[in-house]
Amino acid sequence: MYSSVTDDTQNHRDRQAKKLSADRSLMPPCQAACPLYMDIREYVDLTAQGRIMEALQVIRNGNPFPSICAYVCTHPCEDACRRCQVDKPIAIRALKRFAVEFGGDRMVQCEAETTHGEKVAIVGSGPAGLACAYYLRKLGYPVTVFEAHSEVGGMLRVGIPQYRLPREVLDTEVQRLTQMGVEIRTNTRVVSLDLLFDMGYKAVFVTIGAHQGLRMGIEGEESPGVIDGATFLREVNLGLKPSLGRKVAVVGGGNVAVDAARTALRLGVPNVEILYRRSRAEMPASDVEVEQALEEGIDIRFLEAPTRIRRENGLLSVTCVRMELGEPDARGRRQPVPIKGSEFSKEFDTLIMAIGQAPQTPGGFGVRTGRGSTIQADPITLTTNRAGVFAGGDAVSGPATVVEALAAGGLAASRIDDYLQRRYPLADKEVKERLSGDLLPETIEMIRKTGRLELPTLSPEARTKDFKPVELGYSWEAAINEARRCLRCGMGAEILFQDKCATCLTCLRVCPYHVPHLDEGGTIQIPDDQCQACGVCVAACPAKAIVLRKPYDRRHITEELDHALKSAAQSNLKPFIIGFCCQYGLFGTGALAGLWRGAKASIWIVPVLCTAKVEADHMLRAFEMGAEGVFIAGCGEQCAREDTDFWVRQRVEKARKTLAQIGLEPERLQAFVSTTNGGDPAEELDRFAERMGNLYLASIIMQEVRS
Amino acid sequence: MSNSLFEEKLGSDEFLVTTEIGPPKGTDTSEMLHHIALLKDRVDAINVTDGQSSVMRFASLGGCLLVKEYGGEPILQVTCRDRNRLAIQADLLVAYSRGIGNVLCLTGDSIDVGDHKEAKPVFDLDSVQLLRMIRTMESGTDVGGNELKGAPKFCIGASVHPEADFIEPQLLKFDKKVAAGAQFFQTQGIFDLGSLRRFMQYASQFDVKILAGIIVLASARMARYMNDNVPGIIVSQPVIDELATAEKGKGLQKGIEIAAGLIRTIREEKLCHGVHVMAVGNEGVVPDILEAAGLVDVHV
Amino acid sequence: MIVAEQKSLEEIRRMIDPYGRVLILGCGTCMTVCDAGGEREVSFLHNALRVAQARSGNGTHTFLEYTLKRQCDPEFLDMLTDRVEDVDAILSLGCGIGVQAVAERFSDLPVLPGVNTSFMGMPKEWGIWDERCVACGDCRLGETAGICPITRCTKGILNGPCAGTKNGKCEANKDMDCAWVLIYKRLERLGQLENMRRYYPPRNFRPIPRPRRIVTRATLDVGGENE
Repeated sequence: MYSSVTDDTQNHRDRQAKKLSADRSLMPPCQAACPLYMDIREYVDLTAQGRIMEALQVIRNGNPFPSICAYVCTHPCEDACRRCQVDKPIAIRALKRFAVEFGGDRMVQCEAETTHGEKVAIVGSGPAGLACAYYLRKLGYPVTVFEAHSEVGGMLRVGIPQYRLPREVLDTEVQRLTQMGVEIRTNTRVVSLDLLFDMGYKAVFVTIGAHQGLRMGIEGEESPGVIDGATFLREVNLGLKPSLGRKVAVVGGGNVAVDAARTALRLGVPNVEILYRRSRAEMPASDVEVEQALEEGIDIRFLEAPTRIRRENGLLSVTCVRMELGEPDARGRRQPVPIKGSEFSKEFDTLIMAIGQAPQTPGGFGVRTGRGSTIQADPITLTTNRAGVFAGGDAVSGPATVVEALAAGGLAASRIDDYLQRRYPLADKEVKERLSGDLLPETIEMIRKTGRLELPTLSPEARTKDFKPVELGYSWEAAINEARRCLRCGMGAEILFQDKCATCLTCLRVCPYHVPHLDEGGTIQIPDDQCQACGVCVAACPAKAIVLRKPYDRRHITEELDHALKSAAQSNLKPFIIGFCCQYGLFGTGALAGLWRGAKASIWIVPVLCTAKVEADHMLRAFEMGAEGVFIAGCGEQCAREDTDFWVRQRVEKARKTLAQIGLEPERLQAFVSTTNGGDPAEELDRFAERMGNLYLASIIMQEVRS
Repeated sequence: MSNSLFEEKLGSDEFLVTTEIGPPKGTDTSEMLHHIALLKDRVDAINVTDGQSSVMRFASLGGCLLVKEYGGEPILQVTCRDRNRLAIQADLLVAYSRGIGNVLCLTGDSIDVGDHKEAKPVFDLDSVQLLRMIRTMESGTDVGGNELKGAPKFCIGASVHPEADFIEPQLLKFDKKVAAGAQFFQTQGIFDLGSLRRFMQYASQFDVKILAGIIVLASARMARYMNDNVPGIIVSQPVIDELATAEKGKGLQKGIEIAAGLIRTIREEKLCHGVHVMAVGNEGVVPDILEAAGLVDVHV
Repeated sequence: MIVAEQKSLEEIRRMIDPYGRVLILGCGTCMTVCDAGGEREVSFLHNALRVAQARSGNGTHTFLEYTLKRQCDPEFLDMLTDRVEDVDAILSLGCGIGVQAVAERFSDLPVLPGVNTSFMGMPKEWGIWDERCVACGDCRLGETAGICPITRCTKGILNGPCAGTKNGKCEANKDMDCAWVLIYKRLERLGQLENMRRYYPPRNFRPIPRPRRIVTRATLDVGGENE
């Protein structure tokens, strides 16, 4: 097509092409907050488009046990989610659960080959251990997991109650590991690491968790009827039903305490209370858990703590004292101070102590331990003082979250691999720049506010009858609507070709969120932390200097259009119509999603991610390649911004003007809004198709007449 | 030496009456001649319009020559729309030499309202500059600074718009025209005597003669059309309503009544120095209007 | 800045009809800003011409696209030299200046204008451009409170307003404000109404006779010394 070019021009073009193929998106806060650096933005966006299986693939790429996280992750991503600044964060965990349940057992990667000779031993089958096993197995190592208990999973099995993490879910994940060839030996307590090395293991990952309940050190703590919280949960999870009497108190404020209280309730104890020495604000347990506990009728006594326990007449008489909050400690938490003279007595059948847990490291391991009995390990290499011995998870950090343990397990696997292959253990370099900055009020104002769809739960009465999972999953509609709320941080527009920019201020004027602005030097800046990635400026820029940061977005419409045109050409059905349909709306996931499968004979859908990105050029191209009619269908009122239709119509009018001069009637190009004054979109589409059919016939007749 | 008889009348206390004739679009001057004959003795002077509403017609200069020829007192209308300063000065030399003594200096309607929408608008001058230019010529030089071999002399007038919706700038302009030498003013169409009174309160401080423009409307529809399309004309709603009450075919009669009524009031109350009757295509009914207004005996 | 409007597709097609290989040449400055001839418009026009060709079945043009930062500088035109070797005509989407510059440089090639250069103006808002200056060469904006009567008054008169103003709008175009009403109001605001009471003599229509040239460099003696 082009005439002879000089090398210079070719270089220039190559440089441009390179620029255009690079991923220039920024790491969003959700991803940065996740210990696994999951590509949350990607799977949420795929969910919003209704591409759940692809979303699930992205999830599985980053997380070896997504179904576990789907139930119990503490979601630091949601806390970092910038949607908080608008209304409520995206319910990321709930979306993950939706994807996992939707996918079911499909697409589970269960294969691994042994490509190395070095055996690795993993002590402890908690999340860290299981994750390490998974990754090492994928790398081709023979792996054996040693588990002291009769059941696999560590805290997942023995700590988290089944109404939060159902048994089957955990079982399925464990089963995958065994299918992959991981050897798991339960009921095998490891007391000496030397033995493991003698058995031929070349490296050991110690991840024994923190299961030892801490003691308050008060009088009477050893009395019968006073039980340790973690032990209690373990026993229940392993199938025992300890009898607790009719009145139970749990001492503590963390998740273990709340779990213990709610478990007691489900075992039939009519009266359960929690004694916590600080106030609600300081309670470490997750908000949702505390809320649900309160709903279930558990009485939480704040600023109360036991000071003495006595067994009298078959009951525990517990002396409690009221607390008040004093000065903050070294970590900034206000210390509880007993109020003198405020003692009072309460009676319980059982007292469950859940004030914290610590690892129980056997001396025979020979590893150095530190504060709170945790194993000391290097944070980057995860090595201990013993060569070949790595440690991670709660055993190193103290009680932490599941996802942190998974991350530790994954890191351990790659460090062990480095060690065994004699590679220098380099700290992982961060490839992507992180997005920082809060949303400005001007931006927030223009974002369509929708409430967050909370996960439906069983009613409190229904819940406490048994250990069935409390949270019910999202429906299809709910999941998609929730996913659409995502702001797509960090994948917005940028002026990639500054030399082309004429500072015409078009982008500044057309942006629905007022994001582009002039800096001190009079240059246009599009701040990456404000841009909502709608694509309006990209299509409007007269110099074509602005592109979206992700290469996929840049190419998306052109590729999809070419694909549709090719299919249309191959099918040879005439006349054919091209429809640009927003994937976030009616044609993507709603009533007309069926069209996507090419169901309607002559309509070929080009899926687009918001019609704001469809340019007049695209419309022309469809006609050039033989379409009789073209329509653009958007989400209408459901669109994340208000003026998308305005832009679509501007471009439609522009294209129509040109088409008219080519002899193509303006009616061949239509913009449909999915809620067109009560009209049925399917009907409108039918009429449009019929009209195009007539025009096509007319043109055939005209040709025949002429010839 | 002035050619103007009208100027003398300006100097008197008489109630002045002028009217205007629209020339033909073509070479057929028969109707125009008929109107000249009809009106020349009934009024103090006759304007011949020049490309009014930017519609190309037989030139005012030619029309004025015919008025002169037939014994009437012509007022040459000069607009700045079609001619530059050279052409206007040239025409004025001709006009003076053929005995035309009065000039009405107008800026001219814009090209857009007329029937040659692609023509080049000249507007080398505006009405104020035109007034001054004539005075300059009278002093013996053209406006390029060159000496004239024979200087003209004219009685000059201009237009004013007492019913403008934003009057201050119009008054400013009126001042400038007076300062530039305008001796008489023919106003845009008057429909509301209140605005005329208010204007006269201001204008009477100047030694100029004001003739109220009276437009003859033939129907409510015509009134509305002129409102929307003809520059400088604002027909008030009461007048439109009154026209609307006329029976079918009697619209012009109504228009005559209205016009005559206005003229009578203006004269009786001495609101200004005279009237300028604009029949806009119905020149034939001017005598009827004058009669209905009680002005027949005044001029013979 | 210079504002232009792209010619109709019909007209462009007629113009390029005799030529086989046509280079569509955009301009990255004014024509980009007013969305008449920047890179996007070049691409859109290219597509339109191809569609037209495909639909009509006749026409054997091939099109090339290129956009220069500006067409009105010799150095930018240098960048075009290699690209026009096999070209039969250049369809320039630059303003009238650009078209002429290209034509002068590539005098063996027909250069066709793709836009109608219309005026010097500024945007009122996105997509709406208003004329503001006619380059009269004798600027008097200080006397009219910063509103140009020559550009914004349809008759360009200096002793305004005329009698055609109604509701503050111009008799010629009811969407346009009467410049003299605007001038009056702003002079009043500035306390400078005296400016409007003054008589303004006829304009000098030819401060620099056409075609105009301005020389900003000093003319030196043969000996190289300044006078």
